[in-house]
Amino acid sequence: MLFHTWIFAAFFLIFYPVHLLLRRTPFMLPWLLLASYVFYGWWNPLYLVLVVYATVVNFLAVVLMEKTGWRKVWLAVSVVSSLGLLGFFKYAGFVTDNLNLLLSHLGASYRIPAPGFLLPVGISFFTFQGMSYTIDYYRGLVPRERSLIRFATYKAFFPQLVAGPIERSTSLLPQLQRAPTITRQDVTDGLSLFVVGLFKKAALADYLAIYADKVFNAPTQFHAPAILLAIFAFGWQIYFDFSGYTDMARGIARTMGFRLMLNFNNPYLATDLGDFWRRWHISLSTWFRDYVYIPLGGNRGGKLNTYKNMILTMLISGLWHGAAWTFVIWGALHAAGRVLTRELERAAFYRDKVPKIAKQMGVFAFVSFAWIFFRAHTLHDACTIVTRIFTTGWADPAFPMLALGLVLAVWVYEHVYESRYRWALALAPARVAIVVTMAVYLALFAGSGARPFIYFQF
Amino acid sequence: MKEAATAEHMPAVPEATFGSHEVRLSGRLWVLAIALIGGAFIGMPVAWQAAEHFRPTADYRIPYALSSDYWLFARYCQWVASQGQTFVVGDSVTWGQYVGADQTLPHCLNQLAGQDRFANMGMDGMHPAALAGLIHYYGRAISGRNVIVHCNLLWMSTKKHDLQVDKEFQFNHPALVPQFFPRIACYRAPYPQRLSIVVQRLVPLLGWTDHLRVAYFDQMTIPAWTIEHPYGDLLKAPIRGLPAPDRGPHQAPVPWTQAGLTEQDFPWVPLDTSFQWRSFRRALETLQARGNRLFVLVGPFNEHMLTPESLAAYVQRRDQVAAWLDEHSIPHYVAPALPSEDYADASHPLSEGYALLAQGLFNDQAFARFDSGRAALPRPDGGVR
Repeated sequence: MLFHTWIFAAFFLIFYPVHLLLRRTPFMLPWLLLASYVFYGWWNPLYLVLVVYATVVNFLAVVLMEKTGWRKVWLAVSVVSSLGLLGFFKYAGFVTDNLNLLLSHLGASYRIPAPGFLLPVGISFFTFQGMSYTIDYYRGLVPRERSLIRFATYKAFFPQLVAGPIERSTSLLPQLQRAPTITRQDVTDGLSLFVVGLFKKAALADYLAIYADKVFNAPTQFHAPAILLAIFAFGWQIYFDFSGYTDMARGIARTMGFRLMLNFNNPYLATDLGDFWRRWHISLSTWFRDYVYIPLGGNRGGKLNTYKNMILTMLISGLWHGAAWTFVIWGALHAAGRVLTRELERAAFYRDKVPKIAKQMGVFAFVSFAWIFFRAHTLHDACTIVTRIFTTGWADPAFPMLALGLVLAVWVYEHVYESRYRWALALAPARVAIVVTMAVYLALFAGSGARPFIYFQF
Repeated sequence: MKEAATAEHMPAVPEATFGSHEVRLSGRLWVLAIALIGGAFIGMPVAWQAAEHFRPTADYRIPYALSSDYWLFARYCQWVASQGQTFVVGDSVTWGQYVGADQTLPHCLNQLAGQDRFANMGMDGMHPAALAGLIHYYGRAISGRNVIVHCNLLWMSTKKHDLQVDKEFQFNHPALVPQFFPRIACYRAPYPQRLSIVVQRLVPLLGWTDHLRVAYFDQMTIPAWTIEHPYGDLLKAPIRGLPAPDRGPHQAPVPWTQAGLTEQDFPWVPLDTSFQWRSFRRALETLQARGNRLFVLVGPFNEHMLTPESLAAYVQRRDQVAAWLDEHSIPHYVAPALPSEDYADASHPLSEGYALLAQGLFNDQAFARFDSGRAALPRPDGGVR
């Protein structure tokens, strides 16, 4: 179920009062776990088999690491099992398609049958979350969780189960080990986060999606201006969609007395690609840093080695996002962008003389270009889009002024937030005015249908 | 190899930064914000209603394009009630699908009465299951008034019309039918959508925003409208005013025999199992519970279009309806079949047909008593005062 639907409101209205009553009792975790399974099973009850399987494997792997002393073996079992699950559901189709392509090129008539099963919602997220526990235990960063119920709750915690943030065991498990304290500020902060997230999703992301979808679904019917604006729209759509979801998730968790990590920090204000990834999907980028980049060697071994590790990490990150070559290319572009901006920052002229706003625009333009490959249905479509940017002339893009105005307003807000005038945004009248405006806008303008979140497909 | 950390060495829970913005309200500010939002949510529809020009003239009928604008229907009900007119409620037969606004049944009744006493409340596609919902949720202003309700037996002519088929199909006004109970097999909207519909019925603001969408933005959400009209001025659309009522017929007024329609063998649904008939009774009960004085107009169905077997079944059901109305002391008029050439299809008369129908009504004693206000008032228990 989606956070911005009446069904979720009904679910939460049932869950929350009981949570308040049970939070200081031994029944808090079973209730939270039950609610989480109901939440996840709402998409498809069969998905529960997967999350339970993944939970049991990760839990038992650590138990066996402790009891047998074969830490590497059981870590390998856990990692292989987790990645196997992910690979089976997420990449089987991709592998099959490419093998069939190879067979076709080799002249073979045989084709491997397509797997034909659905990708379970959130599998990439809860798989990585479970892996972080087993790896952190192996590294001695976290003690073994003794309670299967608590671990299962950590793995299936409904506010962040299907699209993150990918919470580390060091962060969420301790919170589940004690009765959550819910202060008035937790409730008000949670409400604030939720309302902002709801606005980002329902008012902004779903609005921009109408234009982006129109163009990306039929790129040959549009000229360069429309294509460029569709890329612009998608870039902001995915940001509002994903950060809006995260805000809602964090808000919901906060009202329950739990704190989830910040996942987006105004990424389109980044001045280089490294900065971008410190602001975008922070839980994922830090996961890849800690479990892929650093184990590969990180920035040890000189510049070339650092770049090699960076590129590999970004390629894997691209593949994590989707089982298609377009995502690999997207990852490769970001890898190239990171290397490029890192090198540019070494140059004194670029570092000291180029205005910050120019760097921000440059990063935004680069990231937007990369989004083409993220969003396009196929590699062919992506190439068509890129080609048409440079080969088609002017035609009225018919981009709604209201959408442009909204994005501009958000962009200005973010700039002010990170400037010395931030105090103006913190004034009580400003905060109240923004909330009231968002609520009125939502009532008047938001459509009635609830689009799913983009990152649910990962 | 590192030793596993013990609980004493567990790192402290890191303090997550609130967010990447300053939209963070304290308890008091939330109370203020909610009060302001509440005020806006209540005030906006009220202010709009005061500012929106809505002065129905003679022969007004809700524009065909606004057939799903239930907020406007509710507003029209308030206006009609304020004028002390008799409500004539029904589907497109009442509305006048094949005739101009000055040829409908309410118009003909007004002509015979010599004054504008009958208001055309017809809406296209308003089958009894939807009518019951319309009256219940949006017809609260119909209270303590005279109401003529048209009973169109076409809605019981087949299982599909009666909403009793299992296969899903798109029927009119799904937002007005029961969303959860009783279960309608052919209605397969997802539960979130149904819940959304229920909330929209209960929250006046949402009904008003839907009115804006239907009346001013081509039945699109405002964001979708801006995509179609990227440089359009959002503020200008409402200033244009409501769409003008349709003066002409919605469909060409051609007799059914010239329109290529043939004899039909309708498999009439038995009345005691008919969902639409149950819904029609529910609509009457709601109106009676609100202290209204009811009169039911049954038919006139195009009997010329029926095979002999189908005609016999129709007559049986028509008589059963009349018997039920008699039993419950609801004054009614069972309209005789009009001449064949005065029908456009199975149930819609043409202009001459409406004139004949109105005349028949006016000549009916029960109608005369009803119209003069001397019809028996219903008791809450269904009896007669």
